[in-house]
Amino acid sequence: MALVTSSAAGISGRHPASLVVRNTLLNLWKSLSWAWLDTVCQYRRSRIGPLWETINVMVMLLGLSLVSSSIFGNSMVDIIGYIGLGIIIWTAVSSLLIEGSGAFVRNAGYVANSTLSVDLYVGRAVFKTLITFGHHVILYFVGVIFALVPLTATAPLALLGIILLFVNGFWVVMVLSFICARFRDVELFVRNLVQLAFFVTPIFWNYRQISSNRQFIVEYNLLFYFIEIIRNPLLGEIPPLRHYLTVLAVTVVGFGLAYVVHRKMRPQLAFFV
Amino acid sequence: MTYVHLKDVNVSIPIYDSHALRLIRLPAFRDARVGTDTASRSHGVIVIHALKNLNMEVEEGDRVCLIGHNGAGKTTLLRVVAGIYPSTTGSVEVKGSTFALLGGSIALNSDATGYENIKLIANLYNWPSDQYQDLVHEIEEFTELGVYLSLPTRIYSAGMQARLAFALATAQIPDILLVDEGIGAGDAQFQKKAQARVKQFVSRARILLLASHSADLCRAMCSKALVLSKGEAVFFGEVEEGFKVYAGLS
Repeated sequence: MALVTSSAAGISGRHPASLVVRNTLLNLWKSLSWAWLDTVCQYRRSRIGPLWETINVMVMLLGLSLVSSSIFGNSMVDIIGYIGLGIIIWTAVSSLLIEGSGAFVRNAGYVANSTLSVDLYVGRAVFKTLITFGHHVILYFVGVIFALVPLTATAPLALLGIILLFVNGFWVVMVLSFICARFRDVELFVRNLVQLAFFVTPIFWNYRQISSNRQFIVEYNLLFYFIEIIRNPLLGEIPPLRHYLTVLAVTVVGFGLAYVVHRKMRPQLAFFV
Repeated sequence: MTYVHLKDVNVSIPIYDSHALRLIRLPAFRDARVGTDTASRSHGVIVIHALKNLNMEVEEGDRVCLIGHNGAGKTTLLRVVAGIYPSTTGSVEVKGSTFALLGGSIALNSDATGYENIKLIANLYNWPSDQYQDLVHEIEEFTELGVYLSLPTRIYSAGMQARLAFALATAQIPDILLVDEGIGAGDAQFQKKAQARVKQFVSRARILLLASHSADLCRAMCSKALVLSKGEAVFFGEVEEGFKVYAGLS
């Protein structure tokens, strides 16, 4: 488990496995309540709080549905479900990548002056994204009410996809925020890359329409699998097992990577910020 | 048993400046006189030797003040004992819970109310839940913020924010207390109160390390002094002796 905790024993302390599990769970709980407080404060600043972002997402998905339907010649009603769900999921993916990469820099005061576990900053970023994502899910239900999105029997399977996405969020944020704290340019690089990934990943275009000799664009795009295991069941299909296996493999490799990065960079972190 | 044992501790702080922090590096610090005993270059990054061959044995009951000019390594030493900075070489053995009362240990969330901030800090720093109510009462009494505690800390004056941050930082008593100077903020009356609280706080901690320029504060609270000069310990012993050595430093 990469989410090694470090309380009284200092930042490079070692603990028995049971204590690590207990502390990790405790840290998850702590960071959830921290993210909750952040959300409460967001509502305090503006009446509808994170719903502003939801409105932003809605405008985006309407606009892109319009553009996409004109380019590919479908009717807007036919594709708005596909594109809309894609954009809602993409918002979570991009916010994990972008917001996540600044997690330690944003908490620099704590990092430089306390020995609080880095799990807390990582969890804060992931849970904040999850809570905001929860607001965007309203758009799905709006779509269902207006019959733009089908209400399917396979829909509950999307929950599994959402869980897998956010579980992966932990290692992604951990790895990126360490690297971005050390190399400040990377955050800008990540931003650009996310922008590019948005166009490369089948979100506002259908991957079934691309020519067979270009399938690799989708096949080798790991983000595609994360989108599909959530979007597919909501549109009434059961995602192929291969998608789940790919995501699980990414999860295992990712947490391994996070463990290595944490071990290597955690002691130095206070020097970076 | 609570103790702090430092043996041959060296701490080098790499300066990741706006150039070194980047993947693509441009020449920087061209004028810096590196290669001296204070700074050198390692792997392209300029490194400050903040602590050099430091030896210190602090046992239970010891109250040590750290004396030295600005940049002598006082805060670095506190950070090393707290476990925030790793030592480059040497061994750091710390037995007991530590809390570092440094400038930013407590960052108030400006949109959250005073009470919400108390809850957040209690949560992050593991305050025992059965004492939580008592600790809140204590903070209410100490800060004298009254109804302000139910309002966002954004609207507090700087002094009021300092009171709350100070009260939060001193709510829990660790085994080993690490205090950087400049603890007192706010008006004169609060200063007095803060001093009193520190004294009470300090008397309940098992070990105190206090970095301060104030001779009065050191004399009042400490039994030993460590004099630092350019990252090296030049004296460890009686407080009065320590101040004499310090006065002799140029």
